[in-house]
Amino acid sequence: MTSPHDRGSLSAFPIGRRRLLAGASAGALGLGLAPFGRAFAQAKRFDGQSLNLMIIQPHVVAGRYLAEAWEKLTGGKVNVTAVPYDQLQAKATLDVQSGTNNFDVIDYWYTGVGALANDGIIVDVTDRIERDKAEIQPDDYLRSIYDPYTLADGKRWGLPYDGDSHLLFYNTEIFGRHGLKAPTTWDEYLERSKAITEAEKANGIYGAAVLGGKAPIIIGASYTNRLAGFGGRYLKEDGSSALDESAAVEAAKALKDAAPSALPTPLETRFEEGLPAFLSGKVAMIEFWSDLGVYAQDPKGSKIVDKWDAVRIPVGGSNKTSRLALNSGFAFAISSGSEKQEHAWEFIKFATSAKTGLGLLLTTGSGIDPDRTSTLNAPEYKQFAPKVQTALAGALENGLPWPNGPESPQLMQVLADELALILADQKAPEEAIAAAHEQWTAIIGS
Amino acid sequence: MALAESIDTARTDAPARRRRWRLGNASLASPLVVTLALTTLYPLVALVALSLSKSTLGKPLRDWAGIANFTRVLGDPAFLASLWRSAAFAFPMAAVELVLGLALALLFHRLVRAGRVFTSLALLPLMTPPVMVGVAWKLIFAADGGLLNGWLRAAGLIDAPMSFLGSSSWAAVAIVVADAWQWTPFVALLCFAAIKGLSEEVMEAARLDGATAWQRFRHITLPLLVPTLAAVFLLRLVMAFKLFDLVYVLTFGGPGFDTTTSGFQIWRLAFEQFDVGRAAAATLVFVGFVSLVIWPASRAARRLEARYT
Amino acid sequence: MTLAAHPARPQAPHRWSWIDLVAVLVAAAFLLPLAYLLSVSFKSPDQVLSGSFLPEAPTLANWPAAFGATALTRFIVNSVLTAVLGGVVTILIALPAAYACLRLDKAGERLVSIAFGSFVAPPIVAAIPFFFLLKAAGLLNSVVGLALVYGLTNVPVALWLLMPFLRRIPREIEDAAAIDGAGPLVTLVRVIAPLVAPGIAATAIIVVILGYNEFLFASVFTFADETRTLTVGISLFQGDRLVNFGQMAAASLAGIAPIYLIALLAQRWLVAGLTEGSVK
Repeated sequence: MTSPHDRGSLSAFPIGRRRLLAGASAGALGLGLAPFGRAFAQAKRFDGQSLNLMIIQPHVVAGRYLAEAWEKLTGGKVNVTAVPYDQLQAKATLDVQSGTNNFDVIDYWYTGVGALANDGIIVDVTDRIERDKAEIQPDDYLRSIYDPYTLADGKRWGLPYDGDSHLLFYNTEIFGRHGLKAPTTWDEYLERSKAITEAEKANGIYGAAVLGGKAPIIIGASYTNRLAGFGGRYLKEDGSSALDESAAVEAAKALKDAAPSALPTPLETRFEEGLPAFLSGKVAMIEFWSDLGVYAQDPKGSKIVDKWDAVRIPVGGSNKTSRLALNSGFAFAISSGSEKQEHAWEFIKFATSAKTGLGLLLTTGSGIDPDRTSTLNAPEYKQFAPKVQTALAGALENGLPWPNGPESPQLMQVLADELALILADQKAPEEAIAAAHEQWTAIIGS
Repeated sequence: MALAESIDTARTDAPARRRRWRLGNASLASPLVVTLALTTLYPLVALVALSLSKSTLGKPLRDWAGIANFTRVLGDPAFLASLWRSAAFAFPMAAVELVLGLALALLFHRLVRAGRVFTSLALLPLMTPPVMVGVAWKLIFAADGGLLNGWLRAAGLIDAPMSFLGSSSWAAVAIVVADAWQWTPFVALLCFAAIKGLSEEVMEAARLDGATAWQRFRHITLPLLVPTLAAVFLLRLVMAFKLFDLVYVLTFGGPGFDTTTSGFQIWRLAFEQFDVGRAAAATLVFVGFVSLVIWPASRAARRLEARYT
Repeated sequence: MTLAAHPARPQAPHRWSWIDLVAVLVAAAFLLPLAYLLSVSFKSPDQVLSGSFLPEAPTLANWPAAFGATALTRFIVNSVLTAVLGGVVTILIALPAAYACLRLDKAGERLVSIAFGSFVAPPIVAAIPFFFLLKAAGLLNSVVGLALVYGLTNVPVALWLLMPFLRRIPREIEDAAAIDGAGPLVTLVRVIAPLVAPGIAATAIIVVILGYNEFLFASVFTFADETRTLTVGISLFQGDRLVNFGQMAAASLAGIAPIYLIALLAQRWLVAGLTEGSVK
C-alpha cells in the first residue's frame, strides 16, 4: 500500500562496482544524458521490452521501486500486478496451469515452494544459479533462509528477496511506568502482560496483542514464535511430523495462556487490528515483523515514535537459546509459462542482489527485511533501523522454518484450525496438538 | 363482414399458426438453452469429472479417484456440520429479512413521497460492495475499538469490551445482522411495490366498513401479498445458502468452526488446501442437500401462490 | 395498460404522526453503517479502531490516497462497464426465454427449473471450468469476457423476476396479435415488451447491481489493472498487512456513487415497474 511515506530516494541506490561501463552510464543517466547511456549497450539492454511481475499487495511499494530501478538501469519495463497476500499461490498456479501465462516473474511465499515446484509452476534454476554464482553470491544468503526458501526436491527454484521473521516489540513508555524490563522468557512475557493489563485495562491499554486470526499465516506465526522459543520444530529430519514432541504442546499452552490478558480478543486480532493498536500505544507488546520498526518511527501513522524497542522472541521451557521463527518470507521465481525466461532471470538476479536488497531495506513502506548476511550487517541498515538490526543479527541466522513441501498448505491449515479451536476454548492444547499430529502424519504419509 | 371473414381465416389457420408459434417460441428460448448449456451443463460435467478425480489446483484431473472424494467429504464431520450450519443460517436469515422487510414496507407505505425517498435509500445497502459491508460491520462489532463497544461503554452498560465476533453465539448473530442490513431493503422494496399495487378501492371499502388497521392487514393485505412473500422468501433462501463474503470478512469461519458455512468450507478446500477434487465433490453434495431442504419450502410456496392468486 | 392508475385522490396535506417518526428513525438506523463508513473515510489509521463515531482529528488524506494507491478510477469504470453490459446480455436472453417458457408449458417449466437449479450452487468451483472456457475463447482478462460471464450467470435471477410480470399479460392480447399475422418474436417486441417495460427496467437494475458487486469471478478472471473491477480493487486494500480502513472506506463510497446515480435515474421506473407486475 502506498503510504504517505516517501519512497526513498533512488540516489541511495548503489552503483555496481564491477562494471565501470554500467557505472558511467548510470552517472550519465543521472545527468539526463540518456543518449550517451544508450551508447553503452549493457545499460539499456532491455530497452523496449517488458516483463510482467506478480507481487503481493503488502510489497507493492517494493514492486514499484524495483520497476523504476530496473527501467533506469536497463530500459526494460516491468508491469507490476499486486495481489492480496492470500491469493498468491492460487493466482500463480491458475496462471500457468491454464496456459494463460500472463506472468513472467512471480513472488512466492517460501512455504509454497514445494507445492509450486511439484505442480510445475516455477522453473528449476539450479543450473542458472551455479552459472551466475559470482554475481548472485548465494553464500551471502543467511543459511537458515536460503535452503527453506529455495530448495525443494534437491533443486533450487528461486531467489529470496524478503527474509521475514518476527521480533517481540514492546512499548518502552508503558514498561517504564511499571518499572519492567523486556521479557526474555515466555513466562516473563506472561507476567508482564498480566500485570499491565490488570493495571491499565480500564484505560483501554493491554499488556500484549496476540494475533490469533484463523488464517494460517496469522495464527501460525504466533504459534511458531512460541514453538521456536521452546526449542521445537515442525518436521523431524526424516520429514515426519514433530508435533508429538513436548515443545509443540508447551508452545500451544503458552499461546492459550497469553489470551486472557491480551487485547480483546485474539481470535479477532489480525494484522490490521494488532498493528494499529501497538502504533497507537494501546498494547505494550506485540510479535510482529521486523519492518514494524520502520512504521513505528513514522510520525504520520505512529503515536509511539522513539517509545519502543525490539528484542528477540522469548525462550521457554528447557530451551535457553533464542531462535527466531521464519514467519512469512518471500522469493522470486520464473513462471514456467513465461516466454521471456532469460529476461526474467536477469530481473530476478537484479531484484535479489545485495545492492538492490539494501536499497529496499532503506525504503520506508517497502515491507522488506534482510535475507543476506551483508545487508543484515550493512552499516546503512544499522543506522536506519538500529533497534531492529541489533535484535535480528545473531539470531536470524538460526531461524525456524515452516514446512515447505508440497503438502505444506494442508499441514498449516490443519494446524491453524486446531490452534483456533484452542483459542476458542473448544479443545485443550494437548488434545488439539495431538489431533494435528495425527492429521499431519496422515497427510505426509500419503 | 370483414370481421367474420377474418375470424374464419383465423380458425382455419389455427393449427398452422400454433405450429409456427411453437417453433417461434422455441427459437426465443434457444438463447436460454445455450446459456444453460454453458452455465449449468458444462460446469456440472466439469464438477462431476473433478469430483471423481484426484485434482489439485495445479494438477487437475491427475488421476482417477472413483468415489474417494465423496466418501471423504461425507465422512468429514466438519463438512457435514457445515451443511446443517448453512441451513441454520439460511432459514432464519430469510425469515428475519422477510418479516423486517414487510414491516419496513408497511411503515414506509404511509409516507407520501415515500416512493422516491424509500427506493433511493433502499438501494444503498444493496449497492455497497459485499466486502465493504463486511468491513463496516467488522469495525462496528470489533471487540477493541469497535463502534458498538464504544457506545455500550459510553452508555455505561458494560465496563469491559464485549467480544461479538469472537464468541460462538454472538458471531452468528453478528453475521445475521450484517446480512439482514444488506438484504432487508431488497425484500422491503419488493414488498413495497406489491403493497402499492393493492387495489385502493378494496382498502377504502374495508376502511369504510369499520375494519381496524390490524383487521385490514390480516384479512385483506396479507392474503393478497402471500404469493409475493412466498416467492421473495424462496429467492432469499437460496441466496442465503450461498453465504460466503460475510463469513470471510467477519469471522473467517470462526470462532473455531462455529460460523463455517458450506460455501466457506468449499472455498477452503479449493483455495487454501488446493484440493479441487474434494471441493467439487463437496459442491455436488451441497447442491443435493440444498435441493432436498428447499423442496418442501418451494412446494409450500407454490401451493400458497395457487391458493391466494 | 396502467393497471395501477387509480382515479386520482385529492392529496390531503400530510400530517406527521408518530409512525412517521418511527419511519425516519428506522431509515436513520439503516443508514448508520454507511454514515459510519463516511466517517471512517476521514479517519487516519490510528483513529479507526477508537470506539467513537466521529474522527477526533478528521483528515482529508484518505480520499486522494485511495485513488493514488490503486487504479481506482479504472476499476470503477470497469465495474460499470461489466455490470451494464452484463445486464444488457441478461435481459436479451432472459426476456424472450421467460416469455417463451411460459407459452411452452411443460418443456418451458422444465427449462426454468433447470435454470433455478443452477442458481443454487455456490459458484466457487464453477469458477475453474469458466476460467478454461474464457481462456479458450480468448476472453480472459477482458471487460467483455467478464461481462459475458455476468450476463449468462444472472439469467436465472432475471427469469425469476420477469416471469410474474409476463404471467399477468392476458392471452387475448397475444391472440389479437397472432390474428394480425405476427409471430412470437414480433409479438414480444412490439406488444408485450412495452407492457412490461417497467418490469424489465426493474430486473435490469437488479442484475446490474448483482454484477457490480460480484467478486469471485472478477478476481479469478482478471489480473491487470486495466481490467480489474472495483470489488477486486477493494480486496487489494484488504489484502495488505496494515489495512488502511480509511482509504478502503473512501474507495468503496467513491465506487458506490456511479451505480447509485444510474439506479437513481432509473428508479422511477423501478417502483412503477415492480408495482405493475404484482397487481393481481
